[in-house]
Amino acid sequence: MQIIWNGLVEALRLLFGGDADVYQIALRTLWVSGLALCFAVAAGVPMGSVVALNHFRGRRLVVTIINTGMAAPPVVVGLLVALFLTRNGPLGSFRVLYTTWAMVIAQVVIALPIVMGLSLAALQQLDPGLRQQIVALGASRRQSFILLLREIRVALLATVMAAFGAVISEVGAVIMVGGNIKGQTQVLTGAIVQETRIGRFSVAIALALILMTLAFGANLALTFIQQQGRRQE
Amino acid sequence: MSPSPSEAPVLAARDLRVVRGGRSLVHVEHFALAPGDVHVLLGANGAGKSTILKALNGLEPADGVLEFHGSVVGSAAARLALRRATAAVFQRPYLLAANVRDNVASGLRLRGLGRNAARQRALEALRLLGIAQLAGRKPGNLSGGEAQRVSIARALAVDPDVLFLDEPLAALDPPTRRALIIDLLRIFARGEMAVVWVTHDRDEAFAVGDRVSFLEGGRIVQTGVPVDVFAHPATTAFAEFLGLDTYLEGVILRGMDGSTRLRLDCGMEIACGDAPEGPAVACLPPEDVVLFASAPIEHSTSLRNVLPGMVNTISPVGRLLLIAVAAERLEVAALVTRAAADDLGLAVGMPIVAAFKAAAVHPIPRQERRPAMSSSGGGQS
Repeated sequence: MQIIWNGLVEALRLLFGGDADVYQIALRTLWVSGLALCFAVAAGVPMGSVVALNHFRGRRLVVTIINTGMAAPPVVVGLLVALFLTRNGPLGSFRVLYTTWAMVIAQVVIALPIVMGLSLAALQQLDPGLRQQIVALGASRRQSFILLLREIRVALLATVMAAFGAVISEVGAVIMVGGNIKGQTQVLTGAIVQETRIGRFSVAIALALILMTLAFGANLALTFIQQQGRRQE
Repeated sequence: MSPSPSEAPVLAARDLRVVRGGRSLVHVEHFALAPGDVHVLLGANGAGKSTILKALNGLEPADGVLEFHGSVVGSAAARLALRRATAAVFQRPYLLAANVRDNVASGLRLRGLGRNAARQRALEALRLLGIAQLAGRKPGNLSGGEAQRVSIARALAVDPDVLFLDEPLAALDPPTRRALIIDLLRIFARGEMAVVWVTHDRDEAFAVGDRVSFLEGGRIVQTGVPVDVFAHPATTAFAEFLGLDTYLEGVILRGMDGSTRLRLDCGMEIACGDAPEGPAVACLPPEDVVLFASAPIEHSTSLRNVLPGMVNTISPVGRLLLIAVAAERLEVAALVTRAAADDLGLAVGMPIVAAFKAAAVHPIPRQERRPAMSSSGGGQS
């Protein structure tokens, strides 16, 4: 009990005492996960929409692969990304293994199926008659796509929340491809693992508190936007 | 509002086919929509009405020729241009997740009109439908009738050359339907747009249509002015659809005096409407059959067919009663008011006399399955 109490006190000291290392790790975490989320949403929503709005041979297989990807263990993703980025791998010439870019790539791979799968499901739940009505209103393909996304905006924000939660809390893949190098590629989850392993529970608790605060803050903001959207419907 | 035959059609189709999975769903050999015309596509469920409407609107890919203002609609760009010059309303209103005003403005916004100008036009369309007070409401706070009015206002806001209506009143209660029909007829009377109106409701078709086409199995089997088409259905399926309960099979014979008689398969002969000699099925509208407690005096009435019989069944049909009368060798149906039934003291098994004019018996030649035109509809569609 004493360990936990001491840990909390130390955590508050680190948080409000302006510890540069802690803030650097927190900022790196936000940068890596935020960037990965942006890439995943920018690519995943259109890709999910293409699958949802078109009928083609093998569509069911594609949906099954996306759904499987949503449940893919991060360590497996980490292994695959590491294999591609390792010096002798297909993308080894880019020399990004053990950099934050490798961590961004791994998190994009984790988030992409989540964004695709959830946006696909949201679009499929729309009444086909609404799609027909939008086309009949005189919408071009691009206009139809934008109007349909507007119709599922509440579900899209839930998608973003789910993807953000998945990448910011992920530890296996980022350690495998980032190396958990202090001052360079260490993010909050990796740092918590390391500090716990060496018995510095107070620092681990402080980092965990920051991680939870970041997750809470991001979800609070998205929930606020989501509920505003609901009220406007 | 019936146009002159010389007017160039706004929309025309020739040999238009919708094929899905190798199966032809609809086949329109010829269709022409004149400016200002309200053309009703009438038919039972599954007849292909909505599919034809979507093919005419460019929503459903179709083979054949579709022309809009004389230009062939072939490419995807031409189909988009067609949809932007027209508007469609479906059975369900399908409103967007925005307030009523922005919903009505949405079609205009898609056509590139600025936000303020689109909202102004939307308000004018809402006023036209008498629902300007709903402008700030969300779709979830509207009744079914209000939502459908918003959907129609959205279509009218774009000032379409052709308005496509796919069973727009089917989900509404009778008073709401009546009120909306009155408003729509007022708007159509301006003659600013042509209308293709799909319905399975014959009364609705009769109320709104300048012309009506009856569909069977994905094909138009008869087109014409409603009063002619309804009086002279070209097929037994259409006659059944119109609620003509009595069918008499036989052979048409012409007398020396030029009168036409139908010799029934049972050997009996009845006077009937004009028709070419040969095998025929004749239908008899039940509202044209008159019942008497005893046979009318021959010279006191123009009813050429008088059949003594007895009441076989009495079935309520809305506020009326359908009386099946079993005559000596055939059964005819008569539609009477409840007051008339009370006056006659109708009861199952009682003797009764059924009488009807020769003109009430409408013969349909037995080679009925090929598409036919009503006498009034030949030139236009």
